[in-house]
Amino acid sequence: MTVPLRWNLSRHARRLLTLAVAGLVIALVTRRPEFAGAAAPALLLLAGWRPGRPSHAQVTSGLTAGRIIEGERAAVTASLNGAAEYTAAVVLHPAHEIVPLPAAGQRPGYASGHRVTLPFLVERWGRRRVGTAEIVLRDRWRLAEGRAQIGLPSLECYPRPAIQRTRVVLNRLPQRLGEHSARAPGEGSEFAGVREYVPGDRQRSINWPATTRRGRLQVNTFQAERSQDVVILVDTAWDGDDARHHVVDIALRGAAAAARAYLDARDRVGFITYRYRARWLAPGHGQRHYYRIAEAMLTQDREWTQDPGFSRLPRQALPPGALILVFTPLMDPRLVETLRDLRQRGFGVLIVDVLNGEPSAGRGRAARLAQRIWRMEQQAIRFSLRELGIPVVHWDGEQSLDLSLAPFTRRAMVTRR
Amino acid sequence: MSGWQAPWTAGGRPSWAAGLGTDLRLWWRRSTVRLAATAGLLGAACVAWSAAPPGRGGHAAPVLIVLAACCVAGGLGQLATAALVPPGPGAYPGPLARLGLWGLDWLRRAPWAEGVTLGALALEAFHPARPWHTAVLGVALIAYLLATHLAESAGGPGEAATVLRAQAPVLAAGLGLLVLAAASALLPSAGTGMAGGWLRAAAAVAAVLACALALPI
Repeated sequence: MTVPLRWNLSRHARRLLTLAVAGLVIALVTRRPEFAGAAAPALLLLAGWRPGRPSHAQVTSGLTAGRIIEGERAAVTASLNGAAEYTAAVVLHPAHEIVPLPAAGQRPGYASGHRVTLPFLVERWGRRRVGTAEIVLRDRWRLAEGRAQIGLPSLECYPRPAIQRTRVVLNRLPQRLGEHSARAPGEGSEFAGVREYVPGDRQRSINWPATTRRGRLQVNTFQAERSQDVVILVDTAWDGDDARHHVVDIALRGAAAAARAYLDARDRVGFITYRYRARWLAPGHGQRHYYRIAEAMLTQDREWTQDPGFSRLPRQALPPGALILVFTPLMDPRLVETLRDLRQRGFGVLIVDVLNGEPSAGRGRAARLAQRIWRMEQQAIRFSLRELGIPVVHWDGEQSLDLSLAPFTRRAMVTRR
Repeated sequence: MSGWQAPWTAGGRPSWAAGLGTDLRLWWRRSTVRLAATAGLLGAACVAWSAAPPGRGGHAAPVLIVLAACCVAGGLGQLATAALVPPGPGAYPGPLARLGLWGLDWLRRAPWAEGVTLGALALEAFHPARPWHTAVLGVALIAYLLATHLAESAGGPGEAATVLRAQAPVLAAGLGLLVLAAASALLPSAGTGMAGGWLRAAAAVAAVLACALALPI
């Protein structure tokens, strides 16, 4: 890429000019030749000024990674050709949520040389513009500075997944081979019990110690291993007013952790984002599907619509018998109604409440009263959901998600129709 | 004490601080903080050198000293905040943060070094003729300007050394001229009265200009 250069007098040259002119003027006004001497070094340095300079430079720039996870480091690489006789420096002017890091003993966002690498950190997920890079060329005497601005490509920063090692598993699983032990007997590796031998049983499953004790042939039985369908629903409609602890961030980090945990167990994972209307991704499995989910997280729907949208979701988006894991602050009454409706349709729903804190209330008695009413409303919502058989667990976004889900990961989650 | 492990390293330093000294030393050696500190010290030295001894200048001298000292502090602030990165175009800072950013921008743009230079020269001019004193001030001022420039533009001390090495012959020639000018000021005046002084000053200015124009760089 060829970029035009703007050449100007450098600040150093202006300072030298100030010293030279002031020294000479004072020497003449006060009739003291030593001031002319004081101006001499500055004047000699200024004598190095030469007019001919390149008007364009060849610049190649790029990023070391186009997709990263929140908190990961990436770097801008830039190389300059066709201006070897000038010293070059690259200054990174970062966009919002981009934090420049120091490169090899230099200050953050600054690197000198014709081939430079400027590391940076992305603080928050999203499709992020990295900013602009300013190329500064200086001549040998540092009297003139040529500057050029280049735009840098954007990158996709996925939410950093929280820690989740355990999984919530439903008691009824679809007839599909997987890794979760089902109640039904089958060919899995989890021991279920011992029963009497019937013709047709495999000889290798005979339990010889039990056979010896009882005097009749006994065989081991095992549990079947099934996979389950999980649909992760993230409510991004409400984000609170705490700039440091965004509710949406917590919800997406939890959703990313859950998606990773279930995909690692070879389950099929679907994804629905709710922001006044639902956008969905059909269940799938594998590492590639995780990145599909991560990309869906970055696609935020900013349109406002009256339609909660769940009634129109096709069967692919909400497979029958799926576990629906919801990350929500439960602030949107229409979503709460939708969750009740899903429960009544027989889905196993588990809500992870990501609301941490309260909306800021003003001072005064009326404000305190309003806050109390708000708290009671929130408690009532959670109580009514629990009464319907929808468990609600709280997660603060800091600790492991396993701790919040512990009551449901110890044994299979029972869902009644 | 037999089973208890003291949390000290062999060097007598706590284990948590074992790498701290090395890191700090490395940072001090690599960063431009040394250059910024040198620039600040040289600026302060220039102002103090040109202001001493106090006496002539009337009420203007103390005001000028204060203004020059403020310029030294401003210049140091400019260098200290060079590494601060303002929020990008996507950020929406509050009113106080915006005021702070405006102040930072103003601090970075103001010509502090020019203020120090003018203030020091003016303070020196208030005193009666003292050629060697002025010559030392000239050396200190050029060193201050170079240190300021290198602190704000050089990536590290290595680059600063390269820049200085490239400019060394010209700086040496300039310092030679400075010594000649100071020595000529010490010679007994050729003429008498005002005309003699003018002639000497004009000759020095002409010599410096001629050298600047004739020097093959």
